[in-house]
Amino acid sequence: MKSQDVVIVKGLTKTYNLARKESRTIKDLVLRPFKRNEDNYFKALTDINFSINKGEFFGIIGRNGSGKSTLLNCLMGSIPPDKGSFIKTKGKMIRLALGMGFDPNLSARDNIYVNGSILGLTFKRIGLIFDDIIGFAELEKFVDTPIKQFSSGMMAKLKFSIAIYAEADIFLMDEFFGGVGDISFRRKSNKVFNETFLDGRTIIHVSHQLETIRKHCNKVLLLNHGQQICVDTPEVVIPMYNQLFKPKPKKR
Amino acid sequence: MINKILKPLAHLLPENNRFERIWKLAQVDFKKRYYNDKLGLLWALLNPLFKIAIYYVVFTYIMERGRENFAIFLFAGLLVFITFTESASKGLAIIKSKKYLLENIQLNKIDLFISSILSVFLGFFFNLAAYTCFILAAGIPLGFNYFYLPILLINIFVLCLGVSLILATIQIYLKDITHLWAVTVLAVFWSSGIFFTAQDIIDKLPQALYINPLIGIIDNMRQITMYNEGPNLFYIFVNFGTSLVILAIGIVVFKKFSHKAIELI
Repeated sequence: MKSQDVVIVKGLTKTYNLARKESRTIKDLVLRPFKRNEDNYFKALTDINFSINKGEFFGIIGRNGSGKSTLLNCLMGSIPPDKGSFIKTKGKMIRLALGMGFDPNLSARDNIYVNGSILGLTFKRIGLIFDDIIGFAELEKFVDTPIKQFSSGMMAKLKFSIAIYAEADIFLMDEFFGGVGDISFRRKSNKVFNETFLDGRTIIHVSHQLETIRKHCNKVLLLNHGQQICVDTPEVVIPMYNQLFKPKPKKR
Repeated sequence: MINKILKPLAHLLPENNRFERIWKLAQVDFKKRYYNDKLGLLWALLNPLFKIAIYYVVFTYIMERGRENFAIFLFAGLLVFITFTESASKGLAIIKSKKYLLENIQLNKIDLFISSILSVFLGFFFNLAAYTCFILAAGIPLGFNYFYLPILLINIFVLCLGVSLILATIQIYLKDITHLWAVTVLAVFWSSGIFFTAQDIIDKLPQALYINPLIGIIDNMRQITMYNEGPNLFYIFVNFGTSLVILAIGIVVFKKFSHKAIELI
C-alpha cells in the first residue's frame, strides 16, 4: 500500500440481524431466558475493497438500498463492520448530510463551537475563523438563533461552511452537494471545490446525481445489493450504473 | 447571565483541545437544560428546596423525628443525592441525545460522559452556594474544614461517571433497564442516610457502607460543613475504593460493549 492512501477498505462485510431488536428487554430475559428469536440476517455489504488516495474525489453510486449509507457509517466508525473486515482512515473526518450533526436547540454559535472543537480546533482558532464561517454561510443575522428555526438550506450552508474552515481532511458527503443554497452560494461553493479542495482534501461523495459525479469524481464505486460491481473512472462506471436499470423496464 | 459566569472560567483551562471540548459540551448541555425556561437556573435551586420543605414538614411535624438544624441536615443529603441521580439519568439518555454528533463526527464517547457529569456539577455548584447561605443563615460559622470539600467532590464525580457508564452500556442492550433503575434509585434514596446519620445505618446494616458510597459521602459532607469537624478518613477510604471499582467496571464494560451503540439505539 502506498503511504498516500487515506482510506483503505479490505474485505468489508456488514451483516445486520433484523430479528434482534425484538428481544431486548429484561422482561424477555426473565420470562424466556433460553428462547432466542430466530435470526434473520441481512447482508448489507459483502466484501468491499477499495482505497482512496489523498486529494481524491471519490464517488459512490448505487440504487436505493444498495448499502451506500451503511458504507459511510462503517467508514465513520459509528457502526462496527463484521469480523475480518479491515478499515483504515487517516485524518479528521466529517460527514455532511442534510440536517445532521447539529443540536436543534442550540444556537448557530454553539453548534459551530461544538463541531469545531470535536474536529480538533482550539477555541482560539475557532474564534479566529468564526466570522469567516458565518460570512461564508451568509448567516450574519442568525448567529444566536437556535438551529431549529433554520431552514434546511441554511443548515446545509452552515454545515458546509464549518467543514471547509475547520479543515477536516476527509469529507463524507451524503447526498449533500448540489442541493445546497441558491445560485450565488452554489457558485461560491463550486469555486471552493475547484481551488482549496484540491489542496490535499479527500472527498467521498454519495449521490444519485450523475452530473456532479461525472464532473468532479476521479474514481467511482458502484454498489448493487451490497455487492461491489466495480471501481473505476466515471466514464466507465456511469454506463454500468445505467445498465442496472435496463433489465426490468416493464416493472415500472 | 449564565454565560457571564461560565465564559471567564473557560480561560482558566489549559489550551488543550480535549479539555476545551469537554468543557464546551458541558457548558452547552447546562445551557440547554436551564436557559430555555424563563425561570432558568432557578429550577435547579427550587428542586431541592421544595423537597426539603416537604420532608421537613413530614419528619418534624408529623413523625416528630426532627433534629437540630434538620433542614440543613436534609439539604446536605439531598445535594449529593440529586447530583447522583441526575448524572445517572443523563447517562441513560446520553447515547440517544448525542447521536447527532456520534453519527457525524468521530469522537471519544467517554468525553461525552465526562462532560455530561460536569454539566450536572455546574448545577451542583449553584446548589452548594445556596446550601452555604442556609448554613450562614442558621448561624453556623464556616470553618476551614470546608477545604476538605474537593475530596468529596472528586469522589462523587468518580462514582457518577462509573454509574453512568455502566447504565449507558446496559441501556444499549436492555432497553427497559430504566424501570429497574427507578426502583434502584428508591433503594439508594432510603439507604443513603438522607434522613439519618451514617451511624444509624451502620449499626443495623454494617455492609451497607461498602455497597453504597453515598452513605459515607453524605455523612462526611455534614461533618465538614455543618459540624465543622474533619472528615471520617475511614469513610473516605472505603468510599473511594467502592467508587473506583465502579468506575473501573464502567470503563471496561463500556469499552467492550459500546461499539454497537449507534446501531442498536
